[in-house]
Amino acid sequence: MTKENRLIKLALTTGRVLLTNGAETYRVEDTVKRMLESRGMEEVNVFVIPTGIIMSTLDEGRNYSFLERVNPAGIDLEVIDRTNDFSRRFTSSKMSLSDAEQQLEALLATPSYGRVIRFIFCGMAGGFFIFLFGGTIVEFLIAYLASSLTVLFFDYLTKYKINFFVKHLLAGAAASALGVLSILGAHAIGVQADLNMIIIGPLMTLVPGVPLTNGIRDLISGELLSGSAKIMEALFVAIAIAFGVGIVLQLGLGIAA
Amino acid sequence: MYYIQQCFYSLCCVIGFSVIFNLPRKLLMPAGISGMVGWLVYVLIQPLTTSFIMPSLIGSIVVGIIGESFAYVKKHPATMFTIPGIIPFVPGYGIYYTMLHIVEGDVDQALMTGAQSLFIAVAIACGIILATTFMRKLKPYLLHLL
Repeated sequence: MTKENRLIKLALTTGRVLLTNGAETYRVEDTVKRMLESRGMEEVNVFVIPTGIIMSTLDEGRNYSFLERVNPAGIDLEVIDRTNDFSRRFTSSKMSLSDAEQQLEALLATPSYGRVIRFIFCGMAGGFFIFLFGGTIVEFLIAYLASSLTVLFFDYLTKYKINFFVKHLLAGAAASALGVLSILGAHAIGVQADLNMIIIGPLMTLVPGVPLTNGIRDLISGELLSGSAKIMEALFVAIAIAFGVGIVLQLGLGIAA
Repeated sequence: MYYIQQCFYSLCCVIGFSVIFNLPRKLLMPAGISGMVGWLVYVLIQPLTTSFIMPSLIGSIVVGIIGESFAYVKKHPATMFTIPGIIPFVPGYGIYYTMLHIVEGDVDQALMTGAQSLFIAVAIACGIILATTFMRKLKPYLLHLL
């Protein structure tokens, strides 16, 4: 592989890592562009949509164009932070290509939170939402547990690379199934709790509020194509969750009646 | 007392979501604070207005300003603080509800919640962009004042 091809591959891999982990469109375009320009490439044009990166550039009169296919996989701020830092170091120093390739490789093996910490904090995310909506302490406890379990279940599904629609459908179904079961349990021991309130918590960890807002942010900044794509994704995630919850609630109410 | 409670709940909530988004450990607290102040502003403004857009807009402007300031102090991208920060008022539940209404065949309700959630999302995005733009332009003057 020639030096130019290696450089382009490095820049595109950096872009792909950013985009896969949910970085903003402008950040990906900017990063790829700067990395290439810092090593003397000219007329760099980068076009980013959530599922791919297209770029073309000139170097000593030769024309290069590449297409990198990307599969978005949720938001991972740690990876975005490190990749951003890496690209800044790359553009501001005379780092060699093989060094940079190694660093990028190392960066992908980022530590994430352990399963126990994730269990505790993800419960917090869904649980405390109940209080923001005006819930009671019993509902909080149930929602806390249900949110933790939902997130772990979702992580498990993610690990097996299940299609995003099916994944959200199953997770939504699991969240509401937990809700229905715990309501039945609570009523059996004589404690009152509201089903809708309990389902809100775990669902908050799944619903695509941030992707929707990011999509609209892209639209407002003039990234019309990627903005529309992100909004469509958010809509379909919401449909999947609604399907999952709808199915379980229909079944659950049928059983209860 | 009510406001202190709301602060505590939103702080815990935002930190929880930050862990879901795998935010680096040393940034958890700043992100939590930006979300907490944003939510506090949101609940303070809510009784003053009948509009459902205003609290989200002003809340997210506050989150954006705090995010940009933390970004400058901590030398990390502002996204690290704004994405968790907007969580408490992001209309995730709204779009879920829209879809649930459609699945249940209640189109009128679906249109209403759908339009509301869409405009809340627009307000939040707009607020963040306003805050970012102003902070970038005003930064030299603000640093001069300090």
